[in-house]
Amino acid sequence: MAEAAPQPVATKGEAAPASWEPRIVAFLCYWCSYTGADAAGTARLKYPPNVDIIRVMCSGRIDPELVTAAFARGADGVMVCGCHIGDCHYIAGNHKTMARMPLVARTLVQLGIDHGRFVHEWVSAAEGDKFAALVERITRQVRRLGPLDWPRRMRERGVPGGRGLGPWGEP
Amino acid sequence: MAHLGAAADGPADSRASRIGVFVCHCGGNISDVVDVERVAAEAARMPGVVLATAHPFVCSDPGQALIEEKIRELELDRVVVAACSPTLHQTTFRRTVDRAGLNQYLFEHVNVREQVSWVVEDREAATRKASRLVRAAAARASHLVPLERRRIPIQPSALVIGGGVAGLVAARDLARRGMKVTLVENRPFLGGRMAQLHTLFPTGENARDLLAGLIQETAREPRIRVLTGAHVIGSEGVVGDFRTRVRLEPRGVDEHLTYPGNAIAACPEETINEFDFALSRRKAIYMAYPGCYPPMPAVDWRSCTRCGKCLAAVGGKGIDLEGEPREIELHTGVIVLATGYDPYEPLYGEYGYGIFPQVLTLQQLIRLLDPEGPSGGRLPGNGAGPGRVAFIHCVGARQVDGVNAPGPDGKVRDYCARTCCTGALHAALELKERYPRARMTSFYQDIRTYGRFHEEYYERAAEKGVLFVRYDPNHPPRVERDRGDHSPLVVRAKDLLTGGLELEVPADLVVLATGVVPHDISELISMYRCAVGYDSFLLEVHPKLRPVELAVSGVFLAGCCQGPMDITEACAAASAAASKAAAMIAQGQVEMDPFVSRVDEALCTGCQTCLTVCPYEAITRDVARRVSRVSDALCTGCGTCVASCPSNAIQQCGFTDAQVISEVDTLLAPEPAHELVLAQGGS
Repeated sequence: MAEAAPQPVATKGEAAPASWEPRIVAFLCYWCSYTGADAAGTARLKYPPNVDIIRVMCSGRIDPELVTAAFARGADGVMVCGCHIGDCHYIAGNHKTMARMPLVARTLVQLGIDHGRFVHEWVSAAEGDKFAALVERITRQVRRLGPLDWPRRMRERGVPGGRGLGPWGEP
Repeated sequence: MAHLGAAADGPADSRASRIGVFVCHCGGNISDVVDVERVAAEAARMPGVVLATAHPFVCSDPGQALIEEKIRELELDRVVVAACSPTLHQTTFRRTVDRAGLNQYLFEHVNVREQVSWVVEDREAATRKASRLVRAAAARASHLVPLERRRIPIQPSALVIGGGVAGLVAARDLARRGMKVTLVENRPFLGGRMAQLHTLFPTGENARDLLAGLIQETAREPRIRVLTGAHVIGSEGVVGDFRTRVRLEPRGVDEHLTYPGNAIAACPEETINEFDFALSRRKAIYMAYPGCYPPMPAVDWRSCTRCGKCLAAVGGKGIDLEGEPREIELHTGVIVLATGYDPYEPLYGEYGYGIFPQVLTLQQLIRLLDPEGPSGGRLPGNGAGPGRVAFIHCVGARQVDGVNAPGPDGKVRDYCARTCCTGALHAALELKERYPRARMTSFYQDIRTYGRFHEEYYERAAEKGVLFVRYDPNHPPRVERDRGDHSPLVVRAKDLLTGGLELEVPADLVVLATGVVPHDISELISMYRCAVGYDSFLLEVHPKLRPVELAVSGVFLAGCCQGPMDITEACAAASAAASKAAAMIAQGQVEMDPFVSRVDEALCTGCQTCLTVCPYEAITRDVARRVSRVSDALCTGCGTCVASCPSNAIQQCGFTDAQVISEVDTLLAPEPAHELVLAQGGS
């Protein structure tokens, strides 16, 4: 992707089809954030239906490449949530997340992905309201930014990957 | 992305799979919002899905029977259930598929209640979201592989660390269930913090009488070995076989010592008596308190000069001043941590503490009220007792960041210490009984006499004329020298109950109802890799459902190492920890989730990045093969090493890249309705 770096990629202002709905993938740790998302449900909070949750045991499992892979497969936004620092079920898995995700955020901007499309926050098992607010926030931001459609952009630039290939970009 | 290439289990498996999808109505909880029939119909078109159906209550007996029946009838090899949160029924359905002869990890749970039907209002949007999640789960299911739960044999023995009331109860309960127990206490005497109390709320019983009975019960148990002056210095192994290294300080005294009083009297060295919170001094050879256990003195090596005067006073028998510490190794199946708490030590000048001799902590007052205490139960003064006493609650508890000075760890103690309200009122009533003329004022934020029969203390204190002044935590009371000559001190506070009236209350004695901080066990924390909460207390697996277990399998929590508790609660927690530990031992083996990491030796370059990120030191380097190796017994399945491996040589069972990516892929694939439109447009 090095050859694509010098040219900034426009990600705003494209006309979205009327039927377009933001597609956002959220990676949540099982012990705090996933339970926090459950807490939002138990409290019957309402939030937009655009965020689909994928659970992992610990936010430390969230490989930065899972984030970029989600964008490469057509996500308009990605969310990463884990336990608050100090509350990790695995002592310090989230410390690694804390180190990785700011780098991911910067890398995404360099790849031409607006920072509004990526949200990294800590959500405890009790913070259903915070989770609902985060979903509101990222959905609003992504809706304003419009479709990202990275698979098409990558195709146009001849970058391998995206849909139509195997799960890891291989044909 | 390209180099993320090989996944441990490729999609080849998916072509062979026969997936059954069951979508739950949850009696309307789901089906009122989500069109479950449409979700099932859309799932049925996924590759590999041979059955997709909806059912009113999949978790009910008929629902589970349906799953079992279909597994047998259609030879299903993967099962997806879309229902409530996996925290509720994942285990239920795993057992269901297990009963039907299918490996329980070939089951995939989708949450369409807490995360769909309860949070999305629009029926179309909810149905589409549920459909996406169910199809993603079906895609993931085809990548699942059978996994076996890890089983580790377990020794029928326990190590209890801490000889306070919680440790004693845990040890006694474990021994009565037939376990061999080793109780280690790093001080020379058992009893812990409870021994420093006088009478207990809510029964008014004498603390040390109660404790003596418990110690006798414990010490009499033939299965319990008590080690005092014992420091845990190292630990290896895992649940089932913990190998703990313990350093035993010499006691300096043995059972041949016949007249301990003579030895103590002969000792010329004096030091601060921490048992009385520095209110008294003790000798270098000492008994912590009357009736202590073991019932013989110990030598405090930090203050002993080895002058030998004690030895001469007892005729040269029973005292050994030349003893050296020795190390032993203990093999136990489980560990109970009962390391307790320390009372919060106010900072110099906090509410005048350390500046004015009339400012005491509640613990010091309790020592002074104790007839066996440093003053024989009398308060300092001319015998008439204090005329005016001010109690200040929430000292070192419920602190406000920016108002109260942080402790040495940089944090304020913002949690409620739970015992000090009732404790302070209990002491106030006792004071009132001894000195009926004493006038008492209690400065509080909230009175939290939350326990059973504790509220009576508040009511009785109010009846007896204790004046309650509610202060604003943002403007805590100030203790100052009285400018007049009514009394030595004056407490100034804004009383919220009278609309913020500025009060000046003269005081002869100010008692700080201090909070509870965890005993410093940083070495044990790193040794056992315990999770610690923001309040620095140990963190249980789940505060409600698994309250006495640490995330480290085989390590249990008893008492105040987990948070402020009164004796009732500490004993309940200790008994709970003992029964949990005994239940684990009774099974003969421990079962653990199989979500461990696996290293693909062909891909591993031996860079050792994974060694640095593993919080459990579960990864070692195989020097001969120059690869990393994961210990199944130590790995807890967080997956941090997977994310850090630059060669993608590590995969986490149950959460492989292929499994996660198949979910991402399906979630982002065109939705069925769109597919139709696109297909028409394209042709």
